[in-house]
Amino acid sequence: MSQSRIIVSLFWIGLGVFVMIFSYKLGLGRFSNPDSGLMSFLLGLILVLLSLYSLVISLLKKSGEEGPPKEARSQTNYGKIALVLVALVMYSFILEKLGFVITTWIFLFLLFRSMGNRWITTLIGSTFTVLATYLVFTFFGVRFPPGIFR
Amino acid sequence: MDIFSGLLSGFQIVFQPVNFLYCFAGVFIGTLIGVLPGIGPTGAMAMLLPTTFGLSPVSSLIILAGIFYGAQYGGSTTSILVNIPGEASSIVTTLDGYQMARQGRAGPALGIAAFGSLIGGTFSVIGLMFLALPLAEIAVAFGPPEYFSLICLTMILSVYLSRGSLFKSFIMIITGLILSTVGMDPISGKTRFTFGCGTLIDGIGLVPAAMGLFGISEVLMNLEESLERVIFKAKIKNLLPNLEDWKKSIGPISRGTLLGFPLGILPGGGAIIASFVSYALEKRISKTPERFGHGAIEGVAGPETANNAAAGGSFIPVLALGIPPNVVMAILMGALIINGITPGPLMLNQYPEVFWGVVASMYLGNIILLLLNLPLIGLWVKLLKVPYRILMPLILLFCLIGSYSLNNNVVEVIIMIIFGVAGYVLRKFDFEVAPLMVAFILGPIWENSWRQSLVMSDGKFSIFLEKPISLVTLAVATLVIINALIKYYRKKKRRFIFE
Repeated sequence: MSQSRIIVSLFWIGLGVFVMIFSYKLGLGRFSNPDSGLMSFLLGLILVLLSLYSLVISLLKKSGEEGPPKEARSQTNYGKIALVLVALVMYSFILEKLGFVITTWIFLFLLFRSMGNRWITTLIGSTFTVLATYLVFTFFGVRFPPGIFR
Repeated sequence: MDIFSGLLSGFQIVFQPVNFLYCFAGVFIGTLIGVLPGIGPTGAMAMLLPTTFGLSPVSSLIILAGIFYGAQYGGSTTSILVNIPGEASSIVTTLDGYQMARQGRAGPALGIAAFGSLIGGTFSVIGLMFLALPLAEIAVAFGPPEYFSLICLTMILSVYLSRGSLFKSFIMIITGLILSTVGMDPISGKTRFTFGCGTLIDGIGLVPAAMGLFGISEVLMNLEESLERVIFKAKIKNLLPNLEDWKKSIGPISRGTLLGFPLGILPGGGAIIASFVSYALEKRISKTPERFGHGAIEGVAGPETANNAAAGGSFIPVLALGIPPNVVMAILMGALIINGITPGPLMLNQYPEVFWGVVASMYLGNIILLLLNLPLIGLWVKLLKVPYRILMPLILLFCLIGSYSLNNNVVEVIIMIIFGVAGYVLRKFDFEVAPLMVAFILGPIWENSWRQSLVMSDGKFSIFLEKPISLVTLAVATLVIINALIKYYRKKKRRFIFE
């Protein structure tokens, strides 16, 4: 608990410092006549101060006592999460190359199947969904990348 | 335009076949979203935002508003039948609604939830009508200093009223404001934090950000646990509550309406807080509080009325002032801005048809919802059974299509994925993402009003204290901060003594 709080605080401090540096480069101006970077600089500063406070508190707690024993971690299905993320990223990279129909079909096939649907459900589901979404969204004026069907 | 002729013109707009259809579609999708697991109204509105761009402003607002208050209805169905709230504002309904269903009284529970929603929803639209216009008339005189102070108060209140830790909500507000500075500075023309990415010059898009935070991250959260549902198998009969039920419910329904409406106007929780407060109130004043949690119909009637009354109330600040009190309204406001309309006091004069059209659509929508939810309850129960392994790929696909079709730009898809991962990690560490989104939408208005005020006053900060409305608003904000600090230290002290 305390460990994760320290990491979280450090993350926000890092983000705050990053924002402050880039805001400074943009130009701060004066309080009475702010330039582009002033607001984000102040926000970054608040972020750093708040997280420093939180960090100090968690460090003090840690040095004082051992803290509660680690909770038993619940079984998190990180495999599925990773799979979905990879599928999403792949989709955005190949969409314009292969076109909407093929990319979407592969995407759906992969996800339907890996979520534990039967082959036949997967096959029919992905084919039907691709056709239906293509027709409906084209009707609403959305233009999909044609890809290799150019 | 007086209220009567305004409302009449509103109904003329709504009864145009196209708008009638959009109203129906909105509440239908809303109910669907409320019933289906793994996607809330915020994510659904973000997903559908791109398809509304081709519509007229009033039509797109009618459909989006319908999704919002429709989801309040649908959410109660799952709370009662499955013990899983379809929506955050129906969490309390599970306490007594599910117990009623187990005792064979699912019908009256669903019935009173629908009637309560209708009553709360309708009265809050009446309140909206009578309050928004005078408020907008006052707000026409607001300049940048007033807006700066009002937005300060909105953000402080939304931290103060948030459910989780104050500290974390505050960090989310700051992060949202920082994200809102990305893109071209409208005053100096410099680009900020774009790092050479052309898409970011106009700022981070509302749609990819909202879809990532409320669509993708929701899916990722749900992947962690299996969402197989145990649905209540008994036959649902007697949807109409009997006289005894009505006698017990009429008090909770009227109190829920009176309570929910003002709570909806306040920034922060809106419908969610209203439902919790109503439940607590009913339990406290009840002569038989021990029945609560064991199927007391008051525990369904009160909160379900309050959340719909709050849903109506939350339209007031966004329509009259242009300041969204919660994340759903922030997305609604984004839709208006994309349509070229700046919500706020001037909108009511320049585009009265938008305001009256939406108001009239809400009367109509509430009635459609009652018809959709009671006689057609069987349909929704069937939809409840759609397994998540089928739904999940579809939700993701809609997010992908939505973010891509905005500008046919893959970079926006990548932005959405990044926001999705960020939202997932934030939720894992108990950071609520809703305040971030509200600050993200309010950020540009806030910064501009700050800088414009200083231009007006030649750099003197006293301008914020010289304008009476601004002064009062800032004073209230200060009081809220002081109150929060006192509470925080008391809690710390108590914990210290306890240890």
